[in-house]
Amino acid sequence: MKLDTSTDPQVGFRPPGMLDVPSALERYAGPFTRRQAAHLLRRAGFGGTPEEIDALQQLGAAGAVNALLHPSQPEVAFDAYPDTTVLFDPKTRNPAAQNWWLDRMLRTQHPLVEKMTLFWHGHFATSIRKVPADLMVGQIDLFRSQALGNFRNLLLAVSKDPAMLVWLDNRSNNKQHPNENYAREVMELFALGLGNYSEDDIKNAARAFTGWTLDKTQAFVYKPSLHDDQPKTFLGQTGNFGGEDIVALIVQQPIHQRFICRKLLEFFVYSDPEPELIEALAQTYALSGCDLAQTVGAILRSNVFFSTRAYRALPKSPIEFTIGLLRFMKVAAVPKDTIGWLQRMGQEPLNPPSVKGWDGGPTWINTATLLSRFNYVNRVVKAAPPRPAPAATDAPMTAGVPATMIATPPSMAAAPAGLATFPAYTPDDIVHEAGGLDAERVLATIARDAVQDDLTSDVRKTLADYLQSVGASVPVPLGPENYQEKIRGALALALNLPSNQLN
Amino acid sequence: MGSRRAFISQTLGVAVLGGSLPSFLARAADAQALPALGTSLDPENVLLVIQLGGGNDGLNTVVPYSDDAYHRVRPAIGIEARSVLRIDDRIGLNPVMGPFDDLYKEGHVAIVQGVGYPNPNRSHFEATQIWETASPENPVAYGWLGRYLDRTVAPPASPSDLSELFAGVALGDTVPTALIAQHVDVPAIGALGNFGYNAGKDTASKATAGSLYDGAKPGQSPYLSLIETTARNAMHGGDALRAKIASFQNAGSYPNDPFSTQLRLAAQIIGSNVGTRIVFVSIGSFDTHAGQRAQQDRLLGYLANGLHAFYTDLTAHGMQDRVLAMTFSEFGRRVAQNASSGTDHGTAMPLFIIGGKVKGGVYGDHPSLTDLVDGDLRYAIDFRSVYATVLERWLGHDSTGIIAGSYGPVAFV
Repeated sequence: MKLDTSTDPQVGFRPPGMLDVPSALERYAGPFTRRQAAHLLRRAGFGGTPEEIDALQQLGAAGAVNALLHPSQPEVAFDAYPDTTVLFDPKTRNPAAQNWWLDRMLRTQHPLVEKMTLFWHGHFATSIRKVPADLMVGQIDLFRSQALGNFRNLLLAVSKDPAMLVWLDNRSNNKQHPNENYAREVMELFALGLGNYSEDDIKNAARAFTGWTLDKTQAFVYKPSLHDDQPKTFLGQTGNFGGEDIVALIVQQPIHQRFICRKLLEFFVYSDPEPELIEALAQTYALSGCDLAQTVGAILRSNVFFSTRAYRALPKSPIEFTIGLLRFMKVAAVPKDTIGWLQRMGQEPLNPPSVKGWDGGPTWINTATLLSRFNYVNRVVKAAPPRPAPAATDAPMTAGVPATMIATPPSMAAAPAGLATFPAYTPDDIVHEAGGLDAERVLATIARDAVQDDLTSDVRKTLADYLQSVGASVPVPLGPENYQEKIRGALALALNLPSNQLN
Repeated sequence: MGSRRAFISQTLGVAVLGGSLPSFLARAADAQALPALGTSLDPENVLLVIQLGGGNDGLNTVVPYSDDAYHRVRPAIGIEARSVLRIDDRIGLNPVMGPFDDLYKEGHVAIVQGVGYPNPNRSHFEATQIWETASPENPVAYGWLGRYLDRTVAPPASPSDLSELFAGVALGDTVPTALIAQHVDVPAIGALGNFGYNAGKDTASKATAGSLYDGAKPGQSPYLSLIETTARNAMHGGDALRAKIASFQNAGSYPNDPFSTQLRLAAQIIGSNVGTRIVFVSIGSFDTHAGQRAQQDRLLGYLANGLHAFYTDLTAHGMQDRVLAMTFSEFGRRVAQNASSGTDHGTAMPLFIIGGKVKGGVYGDHPSLTDLVDGDLRYAIDFRSVYATVLERWLGHDSTGIIAGSYGPVAFV
């Protein structure tokens, strides 16, 4: 029994340096800096505003992880989906479902729950190309409700999930005509990995799942008349197994523990994690009885998670990049063209490329996807409000920060249709934060807020030159007449730096 | 075993699946005259892949007009015998394909009949993945052309080396699975003018962006060098390509539809000698479940007119022998029409191969309309045979390792 990593494109992208195995999963006890708070919020959420990062830092590392794992603040009152006006319209139902989910990612007050929901979507990769939108939404709701629950319960629920029954054809798996599609993938892709079961195990697992199908309302139903109730031998055990037994036997396998822990480590820490690190986390997972909150918590509290080797060590997925940008720019509602941009960046939600999900890592990065990232930043940062903003000299400078993103501001309770799709984070906010219209201080603010000062001095100089038009035929220094355009331009450039491609 | 004998038996192995294939066998017999594997083909050979998205109905593209069964099962959408563009006394082209018929008559078009694969998949998504990865049996991460690029494209000599950036080019907004490679960065170019960093009127921002990824110090992340190299391709590739293309003038006129616009850009890229070996274009909406005739005829008209303009352009530049174009679609459609004067998802279909070096004609018999599997055509030629032929006899590369399994060639080139 071993993990087959031969088809993982992230192999070879492990960060340089050595892992200290004994202390890797011990609780991190070092200082919790602002950069580390930002790191935690990017990995365990979708990033955020400077104010949100400050607030997280105030809690300390342990408190911050706890707040993410067990959020106490009330969740935003999202509209229930599906909206019946779009549900049955083939032209609108797919983008409506996709935007419904993106809106949740953007506005949720429980970002780790939504991040894990995204993780499970990539893990149990099901697509709107084959599955009706309402069933897809039901599956995402399932992932959210068990995002940090128990994997065994989750796997059992997924085995009965209508979207999955359609996606991998178990709805037509019956004793006369067994369909092995789900039985194969539940082991290969969801729980054990290639090479850790036999073709006979697949056949017998398929027999155990016979009769797990859908009724006329597209709800799960068990039909005993379609079920093969003869004895089966599966992973070395023999019995009159049903689907529940198969799930229970799968999650008991030591290889399952390593399989799922490796995937969590690649999602939260870095690519191609060391076998020793996988083994250590697998012990935590096994001891917890497949408890995901405990396992993910162990990752997020660990020395290895806060190590320099893990810092900015993963490419942002397109969804992380996009939602992170919208959150940072305080865009209240996802612009409708975002789905198209995500498609061009290579990650359309609810539409993974295959049953394997997204390969991630280096496959996110190519000329076409990077250009889409650059140009999406330019499009979002430079999107102007429908009405011209008052000139800066007349704008009242309030002492507090814009209250758009902290806690649940009143605007959050409004329907998405009433929310703005342009940035509420403005050049005036940056000038205010910088303490005046001074190029050096404006640049320092942008560098800290946009990329946590993760830029070289050369690039800092390049951005300063841009702000002051150094090198232009007629240099125009940053001033009251041009600061709106210049600051937006510099902010877009900063968000297009290499460090912002990394999580 | 002698290579010729092995070759013929492989080819026969493909052929027997579809029953008797006289014209196919006749052509297979002269296959020995073809260049053997590994001989030097022109390194400037370009493959243009044309995706007919949505599942093109083969029976109304290459019409078996003399077959009564055809007219019987398609009373509303069948094409009358008198209006087809006759290829022989059994089949003819859809009447909207006149300019394409001209290319056929000039001997530049091969029609490969009854192309498919075992246990056909009728899902758009899954079937497209199958065609683009050439792996019906199990999902794989990289496309068949991506695997070719991985084996043939040299890594950049330096981060600013753009010489192999356009080895494979996808014309459109996204890189299709067929061109997804492990090591090679394939650009997707929608409109040439948009291929680049778009800062609007802020030219200073664009100029600054171009240097953001220059001279960045190596960082902790192993992804940083990949991101930096790719970002430079993205920032500078468009300008480099536009500069090259500026000196190329398309000859003749192209229609204005999006497909022809892609073909015009394809000719520009090929004619600008930027090292391109693969170009991928697509034309969509062949999913004609209802009102098929109007929809499919319109699209086949785009295909025919576009390809004629493209071939005319290539010929004017003396490039017609350098380019081989190949169509594919994720599936053909069912034999019988449905209740909405359309057709539902089916199986086998004809492929077109177009080019100055193509041995024009019909390869394989038209699939039987009465000997069906669940109401669908039986395939006769595995699509991987077509791919292997293109790889080995056009791109000059062993198909082993790119196409899993062994598939005998089809003698169209």
